[in-house]
Amino acid sequence: MGMLTLGHRRAGMPPAPRDVVGTSPPRPDALAKVTGAARYPGDLSRPGQLHLWAVLAGRPHARILGVDARPALAHPGVVAVLTAADVPRNRFGLIEDDQPVLAEGVVRWVGERVALVAAETREAAATGARLVEVTYEDLPVVADPATALAPGTPLVQPGRPDGNLLTEVRIRRGDAAGALAGAATVLEATFTTTWQEHAFLQPEAGVAWVEDDGRVVVETAGQWAHDDRREVASTLGLPDEQVVIRYAAIGGAFGGREDLTVQPLLALAAWTLRRPVALVWDRTESMLGHPKRHPMSIRARWGVDGDGRIRGVEADLTADAGAYASTSQEVVKAATLLLTGAYRVPNVALHGRAVLTNNVPTGAFRGFGAPQAQFAAESMVARLAEAIGDDPVAFRQRNLYREGDLEPTGRPLPAGVGALATLEACAAEARRRFGIGWDGLGRVPGASSAPRQAGEAVPSAGTDGIARKRPRRGVGIACGIKNLGYSFGFPERATATVELYGRGEVERATVRIGAADVGQGVHLALRQIAADGLRLPLAAVALVADDSAEAPDAGSASASRLTLVAGRAVHDAVAAARAKWPETDDERVEATVTYRPPATTPLDPITGEGTPNYCYGYAAQAVEVEVDPATGVVRVLGVVSAHDVGRAINPRAIEGQVEGGVAQALGYALLEDFRMADGFVLTRTWDDYLLPTALDVPDEIVPLVLETADPNGPFGARGMAELPLVPFLPAVAAAIHDAVGVWLTDQPFTPERVQFALDDSPGTSARVRTPSPATSSDDGS
Amino acid sequence: MATVPVTVTVNGTERTTEVEPRTLLVYFLRDQLGLTGTHIGCQTGQCGACTVQLDGEAVKSCMVLTVQAEGHAVTTIEGLAPAGTLHPVQAAFWEEHGLQCGYCTPGMVLTAEALLRDDPDPDDHTIRHAIEGNLCRCTGYQSVVQSVRVAATRMAEGAQPEPLLRRS
Repeated sequence: MGMLTLGHRRAGMPPAPRDVVGTSPPRPDALAKVTGAARYPGDLSRPGQLHLWAVLAGRPHARILGVDARPALAHPGVVAVLTAADVPRNRFGLIEDDQPVLAEGVVRWVGERVALVAAETREAAATGARLVEVTYEDLPVVADPATALAPGTPLVQPGRPDGNLLTEVRIRRGDAAGALAGAATVLEATFTTTWQEHAFLQPEAGVAWVEDDGRVVVETAGQWAHDDRREVASTLGLPDEQVVIRYAAIGGAFGGREDLTVQPLLALAAWTLRRPVALVWDRTESMLGHPKRHPMSIRARWGVDGDGRIRGVEADLTADAGAYASTSQEVVKAATLLLTGAYRVPNVALHGRAVLTNNVPTGAFRGFGAPQAQFAAESMVARLAEAIGDDPVAFRQRNLYREGDLEPTGRPLPAGVGALATLEACAAEARRRFGIGWDGLGRVPGASSAPRQAGEAVPSAGTDGIARKRPRRGVGIACGIKNLGYSFGFPERATATVELYGRGEVERATVRIGAADVGQGVHLALRQIAADGLRLPLAAVALVADDSAEAPDAGSASASRLTLVAGRAVHDAVAAARAKWPETDDERVEATVTYRPPATTPLDPITGEGTPNYCYGYAAQAVEVEVDPATGVVRVLGVVSAHDVGRAINPRAIEGQVEGGVAQALGYALLEDFRMADGFVLTRTWDDYLLPTALDVPDEIVPLVLETADPNGPFGARGMAELPLVPFLPAVAAAIHDAVGVWLTDQPFTPERVQFALDDSPGTSARVRTPSPATSSDDGS
Repeated sequence: MATVPVTVTVNGTERTTEVEPRTLLVYFLRDQLGLTGTHIGCQTGQCGACTVQLDGEAVKSCMVLTVQAEGHAVTTIEGLAPAGTLHPVQAAFWEEHGLQCGYCTPGMVLTAEALLRDDPDPDDHTIRHAIEGNLCRCTGYQSVVQSVRVAATRMAEGAQPEPLLRRS
């Protein structure tokens, strides 16, 4: 081998392959998915396996007086009943290990696992689970986060230092109270959101066994194999290396597979019983068993100066954490930080808290606190624009973040601020597509909305009994910001190993990186990044990603971070391997690189000062709706969704993330109404929990992709997968307001809520539509 | 529980077995025949992940008892095209990015194929109506509709199942 650079050696090679960065080749994994050959966790089996069935609490808060396994053990086929006493170290959790694998003395939510039945057949396991006799003494249920902190309220987790207060965040800059006192116009409102269920189509399942060498293998689905390994190993009291997590085909995740569910049960049974085991949850177990998106209550006061600049914001957020921590601390920090959205606000006083209750635990869900926070922020921005007679686009243009602006935490934003660019692209496209919209150039202050395409101008809501009954169209726009990558000092890194093979030239490569493809297509994106760097065809780049023992740790498939962080690790490992290639005559070289993005810091506990994030994504969405005042039904007719992705590694995959994210956001805004009462889940099946169908989603979802290069991402790419969830809810609220004149503040916007709002609208509407220079409160509308 | 004999033609092969009368078709296909391409999503008839074709009609196999299929023909995703080939609908879903996690895909493909036999040139609204009973949580349906449209066009042009190997 000579000392030529790869570039020189390539001089006589064929032209660069086609399937590289910026193209959208068909996904290699999709072939097995269209033929039915792909194996999801529920499709797996091992010779001689036992079937597991978890006994769920079925009650929100109770003391366990006794567990009698004898009736179950007497049932033919039942082999064992495992309880808390069988778990070597009965605690786990993503951030804080406050959750038992099997309940120990008390159950704190309906989905808590109490016992685990192992049997020779699935039927025997199911029957055995029904025969386990658990004696409970019910305890008072903490179901309302608003009263969970009141003195005398029972404690969900006794012994915690702050009672039912799981976490509290304060971010202060300038003098918010003074700024609001001196502002020309101040608005105040309260917003509420409910739980959202991920509803990934493939319920939790998996198999586990113990290898001859003593390693416990759990084959399942998840979002971070290496952290699943850490948590599972900890519950068994084993070193990490003695546990192997393998991912089968993953049937969707959306944050709902970040927390462990079936994995520690599978590992426990395999390890204890020394037999292969299989566990498949049904839909109701899934609905009860994994954390949801946080319900939040947000009270916000925003004030603007006479020149239309936002002067100050006070906001207060309470999130229902449910019975265990999950990722609530992190979600509430993220949500609190984003209570001012993507706006420059010199004076802020932001306060967030997460409260323990006996409701289902809440954790990660695509958006991670950003959708709730910006429902409030963007609604306030829209109302302020209206209150001062300003155009909703122009008002945003004046106030959105610019490059170099300070965050509420007092430090400059990371470079690459695409807030204004995404808004302007979105507004222009919305005007072209919908034929209506905003001129963005300063409509005459106080002018009413332009006539709608659908027909006549919007009458005053609730004042015209006949006109009110006709469906009316409206358009709304909103912006969004979301951190990409981990925040607040959480260790952020990804490691990739690249192996090159060939004689003379590099002929093929293997990339090892433990990154979970939950359906988003990141495995193809990582291969494209490697193929591009190596100038190899895609088929010559193999990827090993689904085994914690065979690939290094990439971190989680969350925070829209894998393309950005894992992609950069692959990019750098490719460069490192390529640099070694000319230096050796070996037919194989290998390089391992750990990429660490710029550091973030925890926030100062008093002031909230710090560097919360190293990268943000920006988006803007415009939505056209039709509201039927007679029924309260809202239909989404069209969506423009603008995203700054840095660089589109695989454009079609990005469009797929936009379209799918919009559909989830549409469900969140209009349909998905996860309900609990006194700690019991009322929406236990998809009969009760409505998900968007092909007919609920508009024909027209227009993804607009902007490419402002990120300084850190591979080829300038940044993440984007969560952003479609962020502006949508307030954009729909604005569109409904545009159509029928009422502001909705409680998510989801069900027909009942729309009708109630219309019934109440004269008062509400008057308060909103007649701004007073002093405080005008429309709280509770 | 007592079992009853049942004979069902599955993917062209007659299968005779004993099932409990309560056994749903989806469990017969998955557990007894090992046809795991038929997925279980919701178990209450909403999601359509378990869609198969019964005498050519798309049905949700979690809503059908095995004994109801007695004497009838069932087609699952594994039997849509001859072994080693891709049906044009499968090819279109693959090439048009008509899936992400893929869990809904077998049901979507079978629903779409049944539609195209009834209506070889459906408009988008007809396609959306046809797949309304098949939930997808990943794609937002745009690429699914696009895949069905492309499949319709290719089938109108005479596309036939084509070998898998050439495409991988």
